[in-house]
Amino acid sequence: MIPNILTLLVFLPLLGALIVLTIPNEHKNVIRSIAGITSFVTLIISIIVWSNFNRGLSGMQFAENYTWIDLGFVSFNYELGVDGLSMPLLVLTTIVTFLAVVASVTIKDRVKEYFVWMLILLTGMLGVFVALDMFLFFLFFELTLIPMFFIIGIWGGKEREYAAFKFLIYTGLGSALMLIAFFAMFYQGAMASGQPTLNFLALAEIYGNPAYAGMISNAFKAGLFLTLFIAFAVKLPIFPFHTWLPDAHVQAPTAASMILAGVLLKMGAYGLLRVGFGILPDQAANFAYLIAILGVVNIIYGALLALVQKDLKKLVAYSSISHMGIVLLGAASFTTSGMQGAIFQLVSHGFIAALLFFMVGAIYERTHTRMIEELGGLSKTIPILAGFLLAAAMASVGLPGMSGFVSEFLAFMGIFWASPDVIPAAKTIAVIAALGIILTAAYLLWAMQRTTFGQLHQSHAHLEDARPIEYVPMVCLLGLIILIGVYPAILGDVINTTVIDIVSKIGG
Amino acid sequence: MTAFNADWSLMTPEIVLAVLALTVFTIDFTTGIRGKKPFIGTLSVISLLVTIVLVVIFNQTPGTIGSTFVVDPFAMLFKIVILLGVALVIVNSMSYLDKHDDMYQGEFYSLLLFAALGAMLMVSSADLITLFIGLEILSISSYCLAGFRKHQAKSTEAALKYVILGGTASAFILYGMSFMYGLTGSTSLLEIGAAMPTLYAQYPFLIMMSLFFMVAGLGFKISIVPFHMWAPDVYEGAPTPITGFLTAVSKVAGFAIMIRILAVGFGGIYDQWYFVIAVIAALTMIVGNTVALVQTNIKRLMAYSGIAQAGYLLVPLAALLNIHISLSMIVYYAFAYVFMTLGAFAIISYVTEKENDEEISSFAGLYRRSPFLAHSMTVFLVSMAGLPITAGFVGKVYIFLGVMTSQMVWLAVIMIVTSTISFFYYFGIIKQMYMRAPKEEDSMLKAPTSISLIVTISLIGTFGLALFANMLTNYMNGLNWIIL
Repeated sequence: MIPNILTLLVFLPLLGALIVLTIPNEHKNVIRSIAGITSFVTLIISIIVWSNFNRGLSGMQFAENYTWIDLGFVSFNYELGVDGLSMPLLVLTTIVTFLAVVASVTIKDRVKEYFVWMLILLTGMLGVFVALDMFLFFLFFELTLIPMFFIIGIWGGKEREYAAFKFLIYTGLGSALMLIAFFAMFYQGAMASGQPTLNFLALAEIYGNPAYAGMISNAFKAGLFLTLFIAFAVKLPIFPFHTWLPDAHVQAPTAASMILAGVLLKMGAYGLLRVGFGILPDQAANFAYLIAILGVVNIIYGALLALVQKDLKKLVAYSSISHMGIVLLGAASFTTSGMQGAIFQLVSHGFIAALLFFMVGAIYERTHTRMIEELGGLSKTIPILAGFLLAAAMASVGLPGMSGFVSEFLAFMGIFWASPDVIPAAKTIAVIAALGIILTAAYLLWAMQRTTFGQLHQSHAHLEDARPIEYVPMVCLLGLIILIGVYPAILGDVINTTVIDIVSKIGG
Repeated sequence: MTAFNADWSLMTPEIVLAVLALTVFTIDFTTGIRGKKPFIGTLSVISLLVTIVLVVIFNQTPGTIGSTFVVDPFAMLFKIVILLGVALVIVNSMSYLDKHDDMYQGEFYSLLLFAALGAMLMVSSADLITLFIGLEILSISSYCLAGFRKHQAKSTEAALKYVILGGTASAFILYGMSFMYGLTGSTSLLEIGAAMPTLYAQYPFLIMMSLFFMVAGLGFKISIVPFHMWAPDVYEGAPTPITGFLTAVSKVAGFAIMIRILAVGFGGIYDQWYFVIAVIAALTMIVGNTVALVQTNIKRLMAYSGIAQAGYLLVPLAALLNIHISLSMIVYYAFAYVFMTLGAFAIISYVTEKENDEEISSFAGLYRRSPFLAHSMTVFLVSMAGLPITAGFVGKVYIFLGVMTSQMVWLAVIMIVTSTISFFYYFGIIKQMYMRAPKEEDSMLKAPTSISLIVTISLIGTFGLALFANMLTNYMNGLNWIIL
């Protein structure tokens, strides 16, 4: 086993970015290859970590721990580790990013800059999923902000500047709240226990220790949890903090949309589970009812908005909002299957959304329109692309045999069997949420009917079908979606121990 | 008199700098007043570097001369920041001066050297008189420098405004000091500090008056709200490198002295004033950051950004729970601030000169014209906005943490929220550089060596302070900050 493999994993893309910087602008193919190789090697390393991950073990693995900045009264440490929660997201990140880099061949302008930002973004995302120190976590979380701002703002659509600024300010304010919550948590923890620490695990112990209950009141914990919830809700995104997402998605270039939906949203969910549920499980259980209701609102509201969209990309963006509701629902249930469903949904939606955005991007590139009404009959001119689009939509609907089905099934089962102490009207909520599945089927099938079938638009009579390089993201993503769909244990055995840990914290 | 048998070697850096400044002055006289004199600039930079070395050598061990001049880690670190800052300003000025024949170069450099000398005296003074002398040496040099483009109406206006308001501010400070002297019969900060708690019990009103006048006067000098009105006009009118000097160096020096007065002189009645400072800090952050949003002139924008940054620096002063920790925060941020501000100003002065336009739109498409300058500017702006892997980020988190531990959560919240607001205008400049096309007639920019040098140094500083923050903080943790 390679020593310090997590550090290698996180900073390899940064090294790649530095190498890209030294290449002259005009060698576009060299730049593309270096970016591709770097992200591929990162992917390989993440798979090495994945295969060496000890399934039965609870707690952090591959841990690294160094003191970084000592301020006297507290030190910011360089602490990394992975458990069953971060492991799948780590691999998700490297896969989606590698495929996004492949999908970036369509970027012709300012290629060098583009790939530098891509690789920095990858470092930031990986860092978020492995950091165990709050300061480090925050640092990586913020680090993803800048590359995305540039990628949307430079390579995006017509309204790119507006979308980039909206993204920056919304998620920036979310991060600000997060920082405030983090340090309030640190401070009260240090006051209560006498040991100043920013480590997630150590804080979880302090906050879970009944001996400190006198110093850490329930009201304080509740305030903390709500602050954290809102902070991560912006990124996730949860109604009503979601309005930046459709703008960002629609304006972002294809590859960025893939990453945005595939990985960045997951950082919000990961933060909520790692910090909110991980450190304050009792508060998470207290607010489970609220979270579940917000989850249902997200599912239904997102689906309803998707139903009325005329722009295919916007439709997919709203469907992301809807699907993130399922994560909330599963997590709020505090059952093993619900929590599994939530994590499954994170991974599954990561692949499905990436595939959907890729397909929309590929079709837009050929037809120069994303308006659904102008896209009729695509299966006649570009059958392969239309076929993959249909497959992606089916996965999103939750067709059995695909990853979406497993996730939704687990999450809904979780909420259905949730303890009435945690969620009083769990069954009602489950039934309402299930309406979302019908809506999802409605908007996606209707959209497919209007785009892939129906009357062919005259100007689209002669379009080029899938190019060889486009098969890479399409086949890989669909393959993974089906793999998880038919063999869920491949994911399940990695996350189970951690899921049981989280759920057992409230005796569920 | 104790001053005669005191250890005068402590003052070596100041004496040497004074001699060097006079030498530069004399050389300038003997070589004729007009014309390009790059060697004088180089000489001045060398003088400053020599002084930094001397500071490191002679100010290692703390000591005092009489009770008026004090050398302690606090003074030493601030002197290094100031000298480094002035050196960067001079390097930045070189290409600027070469383009403007109406500016007498030798005069310009020697004034900057005297300003540095004044600032050094200020941070080392433990006595109201020394303090005031240092302050005035710095101020008067600054007035002259602000009006250095004497054939330009804006520059003259700036100087006039600055001298009148600055003079008023000095008067305020003196008036405040006179109360102190009247009450204690001493000008020594230490004696004032020792007498403070009992004095306050007897004459609370007079003490608060004195404090108010001093804070108002010093507040003018460092442009904190509500004493900031002059700053945007003066900053806009002054020659751009001087604007950098005023926002960075002069402000840091002003801060140092404000800290010393408040901590040493008024430390005993901390409970009485910390809240006022906290409110001023909050106002400064709010006003600076929100008014900056609507600026279109880059120098005015930087003026408001500088006001906002002064607000961040005030925060640890209000949260002076543990003076050592507060001081390390302030010094850390001061280092970060000088690097990022002067780096940014080097680029601003170069670009606005080239374009002959001070609007933010003069940065349009800078990315295509000079990737190096655009990338560096991005780093500085990102650091000022307080985003990761930059010194500004670590500094801000450091301050933020300190405020949280002193339980002024509301102040911390204001700090974070206003920082987020600042994203908008800092990224507005970034937007111009990367997302807007350059103007038709714009050509590639080839930055002169001096600009590249200062930008590179500032970049190293901005990143280095973040990645190796440990070295500075470890060093500062072991310090006995203020000996008097």
